Amino acid sequence: MIRRLDAHPTHECKGFSLRSGKPIPFGAVIVPGGVNFSVYSRYADSCVLVLFNKHEPAPFAEIPFFPEFCIGNVFSMVVFDLDYENIEYGYRMTGPWDPKSGHRFDSSKILLDPYAKSIGGRDEWGKEPDWSNIFPHRSRIFFDDFDWEDDTQLQIPFEDLVIYEMHVRNFTAHPSSGIKHPGTFSGIREKIPYLKSLGINCVELLPVHEFDEFEHSRLSPVTGERLMNLWGYSNVGFFAPKAGYAATGKYGMQVDELKTTIKALHKAGIEVILDVVFNHTAEGNEQGPYISYRGIDNKSYYMLTPEGYYYNFSGCGNTLNCNNPIVRNMILDCLRYWVSDYHIDGFRFDLASILGRDQNGAPMNSPPLLETLAFDPVLGKCKLIAEAWDAGGLYQVGSFPSWDRWAEWNGKYRDDMRRFLKGDAGMVPAVMQRLQGSPDLYQWQNRMTSASVNFITCHDGFTLMDLVSYNDKHNEANGEDNRDGSNDNSSWNCGAEGPSDDPEITQLRLKQIKNAAAMLLVSNGAPMVLSGDEMGNSQDGNNNAYCQDNSISWLNWDLLKSHGELFRFMKQMIAFRMKHDVLRKSSYVRNTDSNAEISWHGVRAWEPDASFDSRTIAFMCRRFGCPEEPDVYAAVNMHWECHSFELPAAEGNAKWHVFANTDMRPPHDISEIGNEVLLDNQHAFLAGPRSVVVLVSKLNQRKGEDNGTAVTDGT
Amino acid sequence: MEISVSEQYGLPVVKMSGDLDSTSASQAEQEIFSSIDLKTQLVLDMTDCRYISSAGLRVLLMVCKQLKAQGGTWALAGGSEEIIDIMDMTGFSTFFTIFTTVEQAAESLSKQ
Repeated sequence: MIRRLDAHPTHECKGFSLRSGKPIPFGAVIVPGGVNFSVYSRYADSCVLVLFNKHEPAPFAEIPFFPEFCIGNVFSMVVFDLDYENIEYGYRMTGPWDPKSGHRFDSSKILLDPYAKSIGGRDEWGKEPDWSNIFPHRSRIFFDDFDWEDDTQLQIPFEDLVIYEMHVRNFTAHPSSGIKHPGTFSGIREKIPYLKSLGINCVELLPVHEFDEFEHSRLSPVTGERLMNLWGYSNVGFFAPKAGYAATGKYGMQVDELKTTIKALHKAGIEVILDVVFNHTAEGNEQGPYISYRGIDNKSYYMLTPEGYYYNFSGCGNTLNCNNPIVRNMILDCLRYWVSDYHIDGFRFDLASILGRDQNGAPMNSPPLLETLAFDPVLGKCKLIAEAWDAGGLYQVGSFPSWDRWAEWNGKYRDDMRRFLKGDAGMVPAVMQRLQGSPDLYQWQNRMTSASVNFITCHDGFTLMDLVSYNDKHNEANGEDNRDGSNDNSSWNCGAEGPSDDPEITQLRLKQIKNAAAMLLVSNGAPMVLSGDEMGNSQDGNNNAYCQDNSISWLNWDLLKSHGELFRFMKQMIAFRMKHDVLRKSSYVRNTDSNAEISWHGVRAWEPDASFDSRTIAFMCRRFGCPEEPDVYAAVNMHWECHSFELPAAEGNAKWHVFANTDMRPPHDISEIGNEVLLDNQHAFLAGPRSVVVLVSKLNQRKGEDNGTAVTDGT
Repeated sequence: MEISVSEQYGLPVVKMSGDLDSTSASQAEQEIFSSIDLKTQLVLDMTDCRYISSAGLRVLLMVCKQLKAQGGTWALAGGSEEIIDIMDMTGFSTFFTIFTTVEQAAESLSKQ
């Protein structure tokens, strides 16, 4: 092979052979004979590359970028003959210290490369750091030649997704997980058979970018245990996976381990969506540490007040300057990297409304960052999901700029369904919208059901078990006198606050969980299930367990035994959803013309009661022109009394069969697909207090087949 | 890292001793390619390998891909539990058939 002309050094410095580098791409890239280092700073006067041997406290070399190595505002050079697997690097930047003008350069600080693809310093989760380390988060160089074989993004249609929101560590850290490497990427891989058994086809991972679990570390006033940043909504680096989530992090192989996990999930038909946090960084406000951005180009990376302080639209001390063209490009580079190098299927953007604010914090009509992401060719097949609000008061559910590409975490779905579930009056009209995929929120923009990620619970707030077990949050263990976490939970404890021995209460809680699961899984839009809800996981009433790296947060797998009926119910509801296309429409179901795909009912057929005092609603889904597809009928009685529901006639000669009835005890609460039980009375049935009944029309099911199947009382 | 090539059970066996990392990976790759016939069968003996880094894993995979392209076959023998575990978690083990001993590896190859 002919060697490249630029594979030869042109300069020498302190015993290192160098040459001018290529400014693009930013970061450290292995090139013939060496490593190309490139870093951007608009306002820095000079830059020095600082090299460490792995884990060593002091650098072994500091190499300045010669003036001729600078192009525009980019410092770039090739350093030859580096043992790049065993080095760590950072930068010193020299420039003005003038906070009022936005500049906070400090050449005494060694700074992480904003484009570092691998970061050392927190290699093993929870291992006490050396607090005297002058460079705690260190950029590393990694091979980007992973062998994906024929793997590619799965491109599951949005409406067919069943999303499972999961925290890497919480999922398997508990000893009951029974796996070899608890709390890691590999742990997820070991649990793939479980995920397949449940039937989900997408995992949405809480942040997996490098963060510092020791940020704001303190002791719990309740247990005396150390509180950690467990959730990771505080980025140290956007391009590097969290080393402490990898069992191989101590060997520096977290990149390969995460890629192997994604490859295995894809092979099992499961997409991977990452929760990404571009609204702020771990550097906090002016009191916070220098990690990277503050010392490299504070004025470009952060939104600053006219006085040079940090705007705090994130609630975390600073706000990334997302619509600065340079930061915008960094975010785009980052997402492209995760899609092309990690085969990520989609992203959920934390506090995404911040991404639509201009450099002074004002919301924009057509934010360039969001538009760029919507139309980017590399991101062209991946899901873009916005948490369509921020901590600065911007709330954009139903109005987030979409260009027909962006979906939203449907916060109104969560709020309305919770209130309906606990028996609030006046909710039926809203619930009718939510069940259809929220056309009231999205249809005016010609958006489809794919605009809506439906959820009742997520990491932020109560688990489903806690939603039906607590009226109020119980966050004392977080050490903030129960002030943190939302006060607006729309929860109901079913008669006692917290754990109860009263069988009436515990049974009602199980029924309420099934009611929530049933409503979620018959709604159009993409359902999202919080990891652990399928086995009744509780966080002891803590609705903000971001710092609880312990049994409060860790999923206790023994619950599968004690609450096996919940797992079975969720699994069958997911299977039912996947079986019936009419529950997974990409366009809104027609609800007006004579061939309406959805018809509304109540205690009387064809007469839904949407009055203020009504707590009942029923609907029937029918696909005209598809006689082989059964009708689906669901009745929801969130009243504390029984109600008889008159039934519309099933199509043709078909008869109504019961698939699920949450008022019944297992195994009669839900059927296996295909084993639904003929309803005695085809004209009406009795729905128990606070229950959901799901029927399916079939031609030839014999009455009384009993294979763990559902039944209901005729009236 | 020491690399030796011998013939055992009628097959070439490349034995790697010590640490297979970025400082030794390039040398290992050259020595392996210069000492074997790529059209043949090969046993990679990891019994005395103490540590393997990302660079080392990549060398092993490169060797095997070259063998595959030429119609050769291979098996891996030995390797500490830690090394096998690393190979599992980083996905490299899917490209190798791993046996406890050289004899078992050779026996398996001879049946192919």
